[in-house]
Amino acid sequence: MKELLNKVPCRENQLNTLLDLFGEYDEPLPYSIFISGSMATGKTLCLTNVLDYLRYKQITIDCIECYSPKIIFETILAGLQDEDVEIKCESLSDLTNCLNKFGDDKITYEPIIIIFDRAERLRTMDQTLMCTFLRLREFCNLNICTVFVTHLAYDNFYFKIGALEPIQIFFPNYTRDELFKIIISNHKTFIDEMLRQHNIVEDILIELNEKQLFANFLNAFLSVFYRPCRDLIELQHMAQINFIKYCEPIIREEIKASDVDRLWRHITPVLKSSLAHLYLRISEGKPVSPSKENKTELQKLYNFENSLKEELMSTKTFAQSFELPYYAKFLLIAAYLASYNPPKEDKRLFMKNHGKQRKRLQQVKAKAKITEKLTTQLGPKVFTLDRLLAIFYAILEEKIGLTSNLLAQIATLVELKLIAGSKEIDLDTAKYKCIVGYDFINAVAQTVDFNVSKYLYDLI
Amino acid sequence: MGLKEMAVLQKLINSVLEQLESELDLENDCLIVKLNGLLHQDDKIALKSITAQMQLENAVGDRVFGTFAENLSFLLSCLQSGADRSCKSMVFILEEFDLFCHSGRTQTLLYNLFDITHNKQAPMCVLGITNRLDVMEMLEKRVKSRFSHRHIFIFPNDNIKSVDNYKVRLIQLLSVPLCLTRKCGGTTKKKRGGRRKSAITEEEMEVELNDDTIQYAVPAKVLTRCRVNSKKFQEFDENSLVYWNSHILSLLENKDIVNALEKLCYFTVNEQIFRNILLAEIAPDKTSNIEGLFGELSWLEWSMTCPHAKNALDFQVVSRLNETSPHIDVAGFVTVIDNTVGPEHRVKVLQSLSILELSLVIAMKQGMEIFDGQPMNFEMVLHRYKKFVDKNSSTQTVPRPVILKAFEHLQELEVIMPVRSTDSIYCTGDTTTSGVQKEYKLYTLAVPEHDLKEAVKTSKSLPTEISFWFNNEIF
Repeated sequence: MKELLNKVPCRENQLNTLLDLFGEYDEPLPYSIFISGSMATGKTLCLTNVLDYLRYKQITIDCIECYSPKIIFETILAGLQDEDVEIKCESLSDLTNCLNKFGDDKITYEPIIIIFDRAERLRTMDQTLMCTFLRLREFCNLNICTVFVTHLAYDNFYFKIGALEPIQIFFPNYTRDELFKIIISNHKTFIDEMLRQHNIVEDILIELNEKQLFANFLNAFLSVFYRPCRDLIELQHMAQINFIKYCEPIIREEIKASDVDRLWRHITPVLKSSLAHLYLRISEGKPVSPSKENKTELQKLYNFENSLKEELMSTKTFAQSFELPYYAKFLLIAAYLASYNPPKEDKRLFMKNHGKQRKRLQQVKAKAKITEKLTTQLGPKVFTLDRLLAIFYAILEEKIGLTSNLLAQIATLVELKLIAGSKEIDLDTAKYKCIVGYDFINAVAQTVDFNVSKYLYDLI
Repeated sequence: MGLKEMAVLQKLINSVLEQLESELDLENDCLIVKLNGLLHQDDKIALKSITAQMQLENAVGDRVFGTFAENLSFLLSCLQSGADRSCKSMVFILEEFDLFCHSGRTQTLLYNLFDITHNKQAPMCVLGITNRLDVMEMLEKRVKSRFSHRHIFIFPNDNIKSVDNYKVRLIQLLSVPLCLTRKCGGTTKKKRGGRRKSAITEEEMEVELNDDTIQYAVPAKVLTRCRVNSKKFQEFDENSLVYWNSHILSLLENKDIVNALEKLCYFTVNEQIFRNILLAEIAPDKTSNIEGLFGELSWLEWSMTCPHAKNALDFQVVSRLNETSPHIDVAGFVTVIDNTVGPEHRVKVLQSLSILELSLVIAMKQGMEIFDGQPMNFEMVLHRYKKFVDKNSSTQTVPRPVILKAFEHLQELEVIMPVRSTDSIYCTGDTTTSGVQKEYKLYTLAVPEHDLKEAVKTSKSLPTEISFWFNNEIF
């Protein structure tokens, strides 16, 4: 029991409830249990550990893996049998028949637990399926209990027909202190990870092993990351990356391990910048153990990955990485303007002599104040090829002919997924939509010395 | 309509059947075919099950039938025997009747069954059980005309107040029958052909309450189902049983418990939920109670002695008994009831959001307030959020992709729900491309404002500026 509590830290309440409900080996189980809680709150961990501890027969069904009822039934039956037998099971009644047959052969009233992980997927299957599983015990003569594990609340499951209410257990997120406790208990893996990446002198290693150093780091780390993220797995991943950076000056013997203030000053900008990568999992691309002969090759790969990472990091470099031709850039800008400007205003925006509109402009501007109704917020609108070309010629200063080469550029932009629409160019029916953001288009426009905001209706 | 009707109804049917069985020896005179709408989803499966329950698999063999009706009449003809070609009487019980007349399928099964009842050659009765009042409207015309229109409505305990009902049930479910130690053998003699675990019904229990000798007898069926030797009960110490029962009785005198029960019946009269509560409450207590009170006997036998627990076995209160607390804890009981009636799961979900995510929810709520509940997309929410962040220099800025990720997380938790683009005013005319970019997909808030308020109020580590933002002005 103690062991169990140590294995799953900070979840005493939930563990006890589960243990109580499952009870002893020869006791009847509850009908069904519903476990909900956000991602990475230890739902499955608690459940499997409790069941392992109790040594109950358990069948785990991942509802993503088992995407159809038939596969679910067959997995259940395969889980019951000890040896491998070919099982065919098409319907629920087949399943209950098989379960009953299985129950008749048994001498003891053995507890069996069926776990449905990611149970929210069950909702997309037949309505009756989940209702039936909620009361599976009623249909067969086994001591069986169904457990549903999901990140949704029970309120999100609604059935047209009445369903048996399961016993509900909620797993709250780990609090900051609990996160601290859990991550600090994994201290050793952090050190191991560091040893894999750096060669460390013995006496520095002793310093790095200090609990206090790690605790200091974690405090700094959580103060930045706890706000946007409560996912333990993600936090642990980010902590691992940042702890190595935290220790680098110590390894290089620039900052002493005891100098907490300087370390803090060193790590805060690093943490701030790595906050941008939260959830994105852009790999550091470090080769794990470079052997001599293919080192150069790995180096190349590493360089490539690094540059890729750099490119992904800012939209600007990303936009430049396309290396579009000159006219294509203008076409893209024209597409953007066509998507985000109302066609009514084209005349005013792109023509030199557009007549007097001063009076009406003020009214229009007053209307445009409602920010939520701005086109930049509502998303791009569809435009025709004619309009695209018209704007293209309006913003391009030089005069060029409409060649097939130019039209092919549009197809390229579609291919590159910068513009959405059909690849074939049909002058009559083709409709397009620009699907890049403002930052991207700004970066492109800068390379050709063009001011996008001057031509954007929302911004003038 | 709740599930309660269903449960009561099913129990009633079972009890009627049991009584009939015990009196008339139904097994020999009559054939009972049970079908369940949940299990027998289409006619083919239902027919297979009928064949199996009539034990006619051999007769059918590899025969191929053209229609459903042919197959069914063949089955019936197989049952006819003797000189006058008379057939055994049959009872068809269709549970979850509404699923049989589901709009998706043709009601061939029902049509044929009803049709045969008009046929003289086969004496049979079709019994449908459902919790839907409007089930008649779902029937096809041809089926409806063949239906006898005999309804029996069963409502939960109209005659007594539900609080009293709960009290009675509490005693009934938790007390241990004294007679067990004395006349355990007697129970096995009494023939009770409960087909399912709900062996004792309310009606029966009322009878039993008056009849002291057989009170709380454990049906043999239940014992065999759970594979427990009934002899074990004889080892119970009678004094401790008396003590336990008096403990249960004393519970009802406790004011807190009565209050909690009243609260519960304010919310629900569903007996199954009540059983769940009892189970949760006692689950932790059981081991020792059993060990402390009844020697080496385990909880199973103990629960066996509470026969009514068998239909649900969900004794939440019971599951909390253990060595250190051999009694039912009043406070624990009350908290279990509180948790059941007011789970507030949505609030808990909201509380478990990170501060960034919660701020987005608040931003969205305020945006929707301004625009009369118009759905919003990510850009609008971001815009509101940015406005808030700009006003409060103390909050750290988070890059856009992280915010987008947080927004997606909200969607995964179904705190916000996507709106179908057709019924929104913004996206009309968007026909060329199938999907909108995720930043521009429109969402509505799926949590009620009240829950959000509750979550903000009770959240512990929430920075003050956010709760201030929520409560006060719109930026």
